[in-house]
Amino acid sequence: MTDKDFDFTRRAFLDGVLKATAGAGVAAAAPWAVSAASAAPLSGDRVRLGVIGTGDRGRTLIRNILKTRNCAVAAVCDNFAPHLAKAQAIVGANVPAFADHRAMLDARGLDAVVIATPLDFHAPLAFDAFGAGLHVWCEKAMARTIADCSAMVKRSQDSAKVLQIGHQRMFHPTYLNALKRVKAGEIGPVTQIRASWHRNTSWRRPIPPGSTDRKINWRLYREASAGLMTELATHQLQVGNWFLDAVPTRVIGSGSICFWKDGREVYDHVALVYEYSDGRKFVYTSHLNNARYGCEEQIQGSKGTIEPELGRIYQEVPPKVLALQRMQEDVKRGHKRTVPIGGATWFPELPVTTPGDSLGWGEYDETMLQFEGFGEAVRAGKPLPGMLAQAYAASVASLLGEQAMDRGEAVTWPTDLIAV
Amino acid sequence: MSGVERFAAMGTRVELHLFGATGSDALAVARRAIEAVDDALTIHRPSATTALNASLMAGRSHAVDDPLLLAALIEIEAAHALTLGLFDPAADAARPGAGWNAIRVDRDAARIEAARPLALDFGGFGKGFALDQACDALRAAGVASAFLVAGESSIAVMGEHPLGGGWPVAIPDPLAPDQSLVELELRDAALSISSTLGAGAEAPGRAPMIRPNDGSCVTAARTAIAIDRRGSRAEMLSTALLVADAGQAMRLIAEAPAHRFLFNFSRTAAAVVQPREVVA
Repeated sequence: MTDKDFDFTRRAFLDGVLKATAGAGVAAAAPWAVSAASAAPLSGDRVRLGVIGTGDRGRTLIRNILKTRNCAVAAVCDNFAPHLAKAQAIVGANVPAFADHRAMLDARGLDAVVIATPLDFHAPLAFDAFGAGLHVWCEKAMARTIADCSAMVKRSQDSAKVLQIGHQRMFHPTYLNALKRVKAGEIGPVTQIRASWHRNTSWRRPIPPGSTDRKINWRLYREASAGLMTELATHQLQVGNWFLDAVPTRVIGSGSICFWKDGREVYDHVALVYEYSDGRKFVYTSHLNNARYGCEEQIQGSKGTIEPELGRIYQEVPPKVLALQRMQEDVKRGHKRTVPIGGATWFPELPVTTPGDSLGWGEYDETMLQFEGFGEAVRAGKPLPGMLAQAYAASVASLLGEQAMDRGEAVTWPTDLIAV
Repeated sequence: MSGVERFAAMGTRVELHLFGATGSDALAVARRAIEAVDDALTIHRPSATTALNASLMAGRSHAVDDPLLLAALIEIEAAHALTLGLFDPAADAARPGAGWNAIRVDRDAARIEAARPLALDFGGFGKGFALDQACDALRAAGVASAFLVAGESSIAVMGEHPLGGGWPVAIPDPLAPDQSLVELELRDAALSISSTLGAGAEAPGRAPMIRPNDGSCVTAARTAIAIDRRGSRAEMLSTALLVADAGQAMRLIAEAPAHRFLFNFSRTAAAVVQPREVVA
């Protein structure tokens, strides 16, 4: 892609975000996107970011940061030398590289840190960054425990520093357009969201020389991760809370190590029901041995369904009455025949397999906009409105789901969360 | 020229087939008319009817400010006696004694009140009423020939068949769908079928038909057919026929034998009925 092409697609992307958020009620439901996309033309020094954790995800973030107009990677840090070397190959030898995050913080020259480490390091690294007077951008989920999620919010507030969590769907034009169409009443009141993230993979990565299974495959071990819940479900729980405009009242669930009996500690099969006010539900399944239904959120209202991952909207259009179709064909060819019709009222029961309509807007890497928004938030010293509340609720929901499955009982939404 | 609109409303599928010269927005206007009735009369989501029911269940009188709901209540009030009181949207198996007789509609003041706690469920009436609204809208739009269906149990035809003459319709026998219970030629008429048989009647979660006098459910294998100029009245009459005892059914049919039919599959095979033309 040439710079000119990139400018065009970037502008089209921002136009898409602004067009979606212009709908009635959307700006209030996605204020962060309005703020990030409508920021004034960027000027002045770039916000200097130190990236902690330069594995696959960290390097993806670095590439997105380099696309932004207001952020720069000013340092990289990883305690695994091969990952650090790969990051330095992307950012250049003049960008300082550190094996210890404390050394990076002590070296100064940063405005903020980007945390892309295993989950259990998120909270302590964020605490150290706040302690060093820096703002924090952190990958989802926020932390390994609800207490640590709350502590991150509290430290951010106490230090008056921005804490932003990576939830790229919150900036995706397709999701924003889906929200616009929900707010416009196109699918009626949303009463259920059925979401899934189904993969057919062990999720186990080969262990390179110099590392260990628990370091590389940290997602499989409870000390570092809640597995499917914190690594995948948290994205979709954010979508659920967002589109239902609420947090759950309680959650029930069942988890098991059903297929990959390879010594892992986290569930490879989860099924949960999150209950919301007025009887609304978020029904969730995720597993690692069948990819047929992949990743999707089916946002279901009385008049239609939206599937944002597919970018489709479906109206509740039932199948045609064949007798009436035949009547139309008869009339066209000048033939009059009796119409066999009439009986007990027809009720829809079978799945409807209609192609639906496109939600509009193509692919673009919305992670870039997350960082431009973060950069502006750092410059202003004020977080993008509404973002942290969404991320906090999504992380809490994912960890609450883990508790419900572990205990085998319904778990109610905590009452001692920090007000954001 | 013809146009077709197919959509979900009133808990079922609706099809509108227009023929001849039609305005470009006639289908949209008719659809909006049906959806407006759905929005007003539904009890499955917040509506003017659920607000009314909340008041009646709490023993309060209620000011009806939704014109469609008020029109529906007035139609029911006017036709209740014609059905021998057998169409009763207030009948409820869970609340013996609840019924339309406990209701007082003040059409001039647009107020309704009930002598005891009760709630209204318009059931099939809503589909016929909605088709009436759609026909009125289509006539206003200049449409002269149309065939409208809501859930296959509620049919309305406007004018003549596009090839001339009435609209030929055959009601399938629910136990032998290749055969017909009755064949009819309809002009400017509405047709309602109420049945305890057939695929629709066997759909999970379907509410049973209630006899208003004792709150019992109709379990006999029956199909009732009623034709009227207005869909709302056809719905009320087919419901009344379905829940009627033998004497009541004979009275209802005797008043309009070419427009009302009852097939009782519990005792005998359905009678063979000769083709006939009906202008309601």
